[in-house]
Amino acid sequence: MIPRLLYLPASIGLALLVLPLAGLLLKVDWPALPALLLSPEALQPLGLSLATASVSTLLCLLLGVPLAVVIARSKPRAAGLLRALVTVPLVLPPLVGGIALLSLLGRGGVLGNTLELAGLRIPFTTAAVVIAQTFVALPFLVIAVEGALRTAGIRYERVAATLGAGRGTVFARITLPLVGPGLLAGTVLSFARALGEFGATALFAGNQVGVTRTMPLAIYTAFNGSGVTTDQAVALSLLLIAVAVIILVLVGTRRASVLS
Amino acid sequence: MTATVGQDVVTALLAANLQLTRGGFTLDVQLTLAPGEVLALLGPNGSGKSTVLDLLAGLATPDTGTVTLDGEALTAPGRLVAPENRAIGLLGQEPLLFPHLSARANVAFALRFGEARLNAASARVQADRWLDRVGLAGLGNSLPGALSGGQQQRVALARALAAGPRVLLLDEPMAALDAETAPFIRQLIREQLAETGTSAIIVTHDIVDAVVLAHRVAVLHHGALIDEGTTAAVLAAPQNPFVAALAGVNLVVGTAQNGAVVAPDGRTFWVRPADTAALSPATPASATPGAEAPTPAAEAPTPVAAVFRPASVVVHTERPHHASPRNVWSARVRAIEPGTGGVRLRTSGDPEVIAELTPAAVADLGLQVGSTVWLSVKATDVSAYRR
Repeated sequence: MIPRLLYLPASIGLALLVLPLAGLLLKVDWPALPALLLSPEALQPLGLSLATASVSTLLCLLLGVPLAVVIARSKPRAAGLLRALVTVPLVLPPLVGGIALLSLLGRGGVLGNTLELAGLRIPFTTAAVVIAQTFVALPFLVIAVEGALRTAGIRYERVAATLGAGRGTVFARITLPLVGPGLLAGTVLSFARALGEFGATALFAGNQVGVTRTMPLAIYTAFNGSGVTTDQAVALSLLLIAVAVIILVLVGTRRASVLS
Repeated sequence: MTATVGQDVVTALLAANLQLTRGGFTLDVQLTLAPGEVLALLGPNGSGKSTVLDLLAGLATPDTGTVTLDGEALTAPGRLVAPENRAIGLLGQEPLLFPHLSARANVAFALRFGEARLNAASARVQADRWLDRVGLAGLGNSLPGALSGGQQQRVALARALAAGPRVLLLDEPMAALDAETAPFIRQLIREQLAETGTSAIIVTHDIVDAVVLAHRVAVLHHGALIDEGTTAAVLAAPQNPFVAALAGVNLVVGTAQNGAVVAPDGRTFWVRPADTAALSPATPASATPGAEAPTPAAEAPTPVAAVFRPASVVVHTERPHHASPRNVWSARVRAIEPGTGGVRLRTSGDPEVIAELTPAAVADLGLQVGSTVWLSVKATDVSAYRR
């Protein structure tokens, strides 16, 4: 049923996605891999990445789900405007996001000055890493959950209300479970985006070992070869891929078991 | 006028006076509902029936007007009680069971968060009783997706009643069901409303719903109530084309005797075999097939209704001698009117029966207003409903 002509571009597309990863696997120095991965240079960024990405994902859930609800239940014109505002960071190059965050929270920034007077300095701290990650990951969660909410509609919520259930009960017991799949997809996307975040972090949080050097920054540093080998960059990349695959598999099996 | 309104407010469980304008549509409705009463709100599509229900349930706000339940103002100027605090239930066309909850959990939801406020454990126990009541014992663990449309609507009915509503609003609850399932659900709704003593308003454009479920009928047309009264009275004198079209069936409201429907004037209407069971619920039909006049039943008469199409009525100028149709009677022609499928003959009796025939047949038979005619209907063309 598919026009045969489509198979050619489809194959090229798939190759473009798969071959680089295969190439990476070919470059791996397998005998040296255990030592490289167990070195502090690898484990420390990995720990920092997992920790900051987890906190960012949690923040995305806490802020993003309510935002998605507000957008989904707004009148069409307001919803369109809010949706556009949420989408801007999604299409923005992360580097620009980093500059924007610095302009707001950095030295001389509008909020940055105020915070500095209060004795708080955000840029180039682990908090800055989390903020940068949340900034780039939040739109993914909001878009996914908002779409699920709009698909689910308000009919079930109305029925629940006529049965006597208050708004909080309806939200917790009807609305959230109904958008469960969308929520899960949004969470996974946010976590993956936070884990891979580089541009905004580099500008806004810097590249300080143990404080702001997450996996992507460690890979960049290793690759640029300031005393470290490209082998290390390859090994770290492999580690990041492994983490991503493990998460996808875990989510996939959970989803399958929920559906069956 | 004010005197009647005042009286209504005293005796009514629910009193509503609602005005709403949306685009070109204007709604202006006053209605009351007595305790334990079932009111059918009849009307064509777009007449504003569902809007009235939304306004009563608090799911929509009127431009002006009031809704009073048991003396408490639910909707009034500057006051709008939220749907969850009204104790007004809603059962719609679609069951809308929560898809992630089992049948039991769906009903338990209403028991936990409705009027009863049961804890989780008692709610589960009571939910199983409700499922039993609607004929779904043993299906408590099923997810809605695994149930048929009729079963889902049964769960939805149990859930709506389990919430303990003071008034239940039914929005064409049979419309999405197939023709074989609908009568069972209709009967179940009738039984459960009676058993629980729940007051209800049912929105429908099916006359059978009104006949079976309702004590009283109100007709909504272009956002206004144009007629109100008992089902038989409203249909006997159609006030507008919609009611006339609804009245396109002959409706005999009477009592059940030996598997037949006896009209107020004593005429006996034998019904199709499939429906005789509906006329003798307690004991199987013991009707003696040859008996011309059914013997009076010992117990209180069962209220029932017979329904047949005017086209099924055959008109004769002399008493028909071939014995095949069991329902034969004589009447006078009261009126001859143009009908949808030919000429409509309205004939005397309580209730009056309408026969539909071709203009040629009217001329052939030499029929005039005042003529005496013999009418016959095959029992297989007559359906019957318990009321």
